[in-house]
Amino acid sequence: MSGTIQVSRNDQEITISVKGRFNFEMHSQFRAAYQSDSGEDNQNKRFVIDLVGTEYIDSSALGMLLLLREEAGANESDIKIINTRPEIRKILETANFQRLFKIE
Amino acid sequence: MKILIVDDDPINRTILQRLLGKEGHAVITADNGREGVDQFSKHQPDLVLMDIRMPKMNGYEAAQEIKRISSSRFTPIIFLTAVTDEEGLVQCIDAGGDDFLTKPFNRSILQAKISAMERIRQLHAKLRLQKEELERHQERVHQELEVGKHLFAHIVRAGNLLDAPCLNHWTAPMSLFNGDLLVASYNPAGGLHIMLGDFTGHGLSAAVGAMPVSDIFYDMTAQGFSIGDMAEAMNVKLLTVMPTRMFCAACLIEVDHRQKSLNIWNGGLPDILIADGSGRLVHRIPSNHMPLGVAPMTREDRKVEILEMRPEYRVFLHSDGVTEAINTDGVMFGSERMEAHFNGTHLPETLFTEILNDLEQFRGQAQQTDDVSLLEIVCAKAGEEPRGVDANRQRTAIAPTPWEASFLFSAQTLKSVDPLPTIINAVMNLQAPAGHRERLYTILAELFSNALDHGLLRLDTRTKKTPEGFIHYYTQREERLAALEKGMIRLTLIHTPLPPEQTGMESPGGEILIQMEDTGPGFDLTQIYSQLLGNTGHGGRGIALLRSLCQELEYQGSGNRARAVYRWTL
Repeated sequence: MSGTIQVSRNDQEITISVKGRFNFEMHSQFRAAYQSDSGEDNQNKRFVIDLVGTEYIDSSALGMLLLLREEAGANESDIKIINTRPEIRKILETANFQRLFKIE
Repeated sequence: MKILIVDDDPINRTILQRLLGKEGHAVITADNGREGVDQFSKHQPDLVLMDIRMPKMNGYEAAQEIKRISSSRFTPIIFLTAVTDEEGLVQCIDAGGDDFLTKPFNRSILQAKISAMERIRQLHAKLRLQKEELERHQERVHQELEVGKHLFAHIVRAGNLLDAPCLNHWTAPMSLFNGDLLVASYNPAGGLHIMLGDFTGHGLSAAVGAMPVSDIFYDMTAQGFSIGDMAEAMNVKLLTVMPTRMFCAACLIEVDHRQKSLNIWNGGLPDILIADGSGRLVHRIPSNHMPLGVAPMTREDRKVEILEMRPEYRVFLHSDGVTEAINTDGVMFGSERMEAHFNGTHLPETLFTEILNDLEQFRGQAQQTDDVSLLEIVCAKAGEEPRGVDANRQRTAIAPTPWEASFLFSAQTLKSVDPLPTIINAVMNLQAPAGHRERLYTILAELFSNALDHGLLRLDTRTKKTPEGFIHYYTQREERLAALEKGMIRLTLIHTPLPPEQTGMESPGGEILIQMEDTGPGFDLTQIYSQLLGNTGHGGRGIALLRSLCQELEYQGSGNRARAVYRWTL
């Protein structure tokens, strides 16, 4: 029932695309996506979370976004959430996440 | 290995005994089934070699008996048989045999079968140990859960007033522990505080956060703190104790029956919906803060929506478990379906049950995927007395003693804190006039808000008479308080003990003289007195209330100095 995650990375930017249901079952997949194999620092990296194929997002997924934000340097982090459908945008805005992330 | 040989033929016994002895096994023998069973009980061997045709008790019967008395552990039985027909072999297995060996004995086959059986026996022994450990573990977990459930229920429910007449609530946890938190309690001024919280996830980990939050809720409500103060304290606590990925979407509401206002703080919960007397949606309070436990709060985050409370209003709060409930086709209930109930075609008093019925019907046989909560506040009943006893009122009394206390609050202090809870707690700790806390709080709160709102901030209570004016009043109050540079409020409390002959009662008591002075230009005294004499407008009711609670009440100077006397008995 849960979704799948794809990652593409270059020197400055890591793009994580989530398809299907973004819920608590995605926890380890999502973590693996932003923790690089070489163990290099995630601070000063730009993150793009692409939700174009995301059908649903639950509060555990919001928690994962908060974890990523902490990993990427909290207030200094640069995380963009793109391609949010209206229903998903509504969930993000109910939690006022536009104050923590750039939502497009 | 300890091996039992049961055979009535002495030659067979000798051959086997020698064979096995050479391999280093300890051997016990028996010459019939009955003795075999006895030897088995006595020596508890690891393996049994069993002949079939024997006097007194045959091999089948002996095997069955041995399996019966050793059911808790696995002891392999190998039948020694001359029969090779299928039926005979099937009978061996049916009797509980694990293998068979045909005569005459072949040494290699015997050894191979014994080591195979030994492997199986060890596997069984290991399995049994693991099973026992698992059972012990399960029992321990079960007991811990029971204790946890008890503690959770009592901590979270302590002094809970969800049975307040104006509240209807329904909550369905997904598992043993509820990740949705529903609490309600009265503050010292008689206002009702209500909270609905929804922790990330569900089950035990979600419910653990409910304990510190409910503690803060009851404690601060009893002390008279505002919902903004509580939100901030809960936020600090949750940031400290919860992992980053967990937070609590929450709504805090104060139903202030006396001021006829609804104060709402919504951080991350679905829109709070308010229906009017025709069941139509009249107000929607969306979440305008982050959930608790996400990030430190700014001044702006403490901000509360203030609404005029009309008696016909019904306020609905729900966790996202309602709107995100899924039916058997994987479709979500959704906020549109929820809000369709508020189209004015339903009786307002049936809305609560209708929403629940609709949700149940929609979900059908589909499995619940989250904790679900729905809460309704019926404003018409906001003034009704709660059923049951408020746990916050139980206090011990201290014998009356003479004391005096005085406070001076500068403009800077007034801007940054609400000093009332601190004052009332000081009085309660010094004197603890049990049962008088609410009245004392109300007197102090009224005198204080008169001094601040009218004395220093120059607000006119008459503006509160219309709904627009009501909002305007609070906006103006906030702006003026933020801009306040000069001015102060001085409060003096003088307590004199009174013996029983002076209290007019059988027990001793005391008299508290309260002087509240502000540095504002004062009131028009004639207007104050007209209010004192029975004006009951939105703001004027404050003075009328004070008069009913106090022994004496007068305004002195230019109207900037209030003097009130409150008498109490133990």
